[in-house]
Amino acid sequence: MSGQLIINGIVNASLIAPPAIAFSLLFGILRFPNFAIGAYVTVGAFIAYALNVGAGMPLWVAGLGAMAGTAVVVWLSDVLVFKPMRGHTPVTLLVVSIALALIIEHVIRLFYGADVRGFDLPLERPIKFAGMRITGEQIDIIIMTIVIGIAIHLLLQYTRIGKAMRATADNEVLAEVRGINTSYVIAFTWLVCGALFGLTGVFAGLDLVIEPLVGWYLTIPIFAAAILGGIGSPYGAMLGSLLVGLAEELTVLVLPSSYKIGVGFVIIAVLLLIRPHGLLGQPEIKK
Amino acid sequence: MSAYLISMATFVGFFMILALALNLQWGMTGMVNFGIAGFYALGAYTSGLLSVKLGWPVGITIAMSCVTGLIAGGLVALLSMRLREDYLAIVTLGFGEIVRLIALNEDQITEGPRGLKIDARPFADMFDRETYPLVYLGLVALAVAVVFVIVECIRRSPMGRTLRAIREDDVVAEVLGKNVLRHRIQVFALGGAFMGLAGALYAHYVQNISPEVFMPMVAIFIWMSVIVGGAGNNWGLLLGAGVVMTILEGSRFMGDFIDFLDAEQLSAIRIIVIGVLLIAILRVRPRGLIPEPKFSFAAASTDQERQPSIENAK
Repeated sequence: MSGQLIINGIVNASLIAPPAIAFSLLFGILRFPNFAIGAYVTVGAFIAYALNVGAGMPLWVAGLGAMAGTAVVVWLSDVLVFKPMRGHTPVTLLVVSIALALIIEHVIRLFYGADVRGFDLPLERPIKFAGMRITGEQIDIIIMTIVIGIAIHLLLQYTRIGKAMRATADNEVLAEVRGINTSYVIAFTWLVCGALFGLTGVFAGLDLVIEPLVGWYLTIPIFAAAILGGIGSPYGAMLGSLLVGLAEELTVLVLPSSYKIGVGFVIIAVLLLIRPHGLLGQPEIKK
Repeated sequence: MSAYLISMATFVGFFMILALALNLQWGMTGMVNFGIAGFYALGAYTSGLLSVKLGWPVGITIAMSCVTGLIAGGLVALLSMRLREDYLAIVTLGFGEIVRLIALNEDQITEGPRGLKIDARPFADMFDRETYPLVYLGLVALAVAVVFVIVECIRRSPMGRTLRAIREDDVVAEVLGKNVLRHRIQVFALGGAFMGLAGALYAHYVQNISPEVFMPMVAIFIWMSVIVGGAGNNWGLLLGAGVVMTILEGSRFMGDFIDFLDAEQLSAIRIIVIGVLLIAILRVRPRGLIPEPKFSFAAASTDQERQPSIENAK
């Protein structure tokens, strides 16, 4: 029983990790929690659905299309909404991001309604071992998340643009002074994060369902993972995802599963009180 | 039609109480609250359950709603000790969702998604069915007036100045010898009590409450009211609450003219309109239609432009 819960937890964690990394990267440059991340994930799920079921493409093509399409949508949300408002207080931007999330969710509702959908995939028998079950799709999700984690690590650590991204997140003015074209770096960050949200949308469509609120249900676990790991720290986000993913599944042992969504909140509240800068984050400078 | 207008005005009244409470917490003191739906639900269920399950008189149950709102607000405010304002947003949102989840899942007590039927109404036996909605509107208007006077008195009092000081820079307020935490807890608790009151009045008005009413969306409408009206300004948000409700309700009539959209699509368009307007107002008139008098919020916040992380560290 608990072995199965741990498998579910790892799948859950793999679903949360890519967007948590993206959220963390975005927070580094934006300095406010972007509540629209769930809506971005939903966009990814629906683009993949439209390409897969609507246009009949194989899922891996649809998935790449979703990553590209979501990247563009997410980047446009910066160009049209957030960029003109840089310099406003975090709370103002937070309210704006919630409004944006509502707009995106309801634009999707306008075209697709509130029905629950799924990808056009052959039904597969789950693999069973030692009384536990896992589907081939779930294994794919776990492997791809690990690959993504390594790729983001390499990008940030060894490439020119990755170093520029870290420098900009650390201190935008200083990065600018050192000759980094920060507006280019910021646009690149949005595109990378958008691709990650798009991919998460595909994962969500595989493991959960496709509906206008699918991203909203993921928003809080994503926040919890990113805050738990230390906001602004991509490696922390990976660790945080694992802990939140497991915690959500293991609560089923003590509470009805309908309370799962509350777990993320409780983790956030307790953690912020005890260790506000997260497990791997740096304490902020106080005045 | 006039029955419809009366009912709409009553709902504007609930919105106004919630907006005044948020203005006290956020507009005047700078404490973010996205758990408005949670306090609203707490008030509605407290009064509803006490009157349905224990048969307490309505007057007392409504008062109890204020008390639970007060206690919940105080407890949530304790979290603000160490939280940056944007984290407080996540935690309060979480509070709201957890209240809703409990109302949804503990259905032996709350009736869950079936909805809790509440028969008791204040002064119901003194008036006939025709005039009663008008009486209830009067009751809600009275509640709005009382809340307005209390909030406005606080705003003009020395305490109001302290609250604005905390909003602009809590470290400075602390240095000036003000007990920042105590003020924050007082304000958040009082706001919670007002939201509880609004919830109780709502519960006895609609007489059937279910968890899906208390979605986080409620918080957005109230934030919209406060932002449209002008944060920190109590007169402005009375206007704001009216504007938001008019957009919400007014767009219902679009259906009579546009027949190629179904109800689901119309309601989607309604929310899209609200969202776009909210973003537009924040961009064009960030201080609202009627800005807060004298004290310039914008001037104080421009200093924060470059280093929000340091400015907001608590």
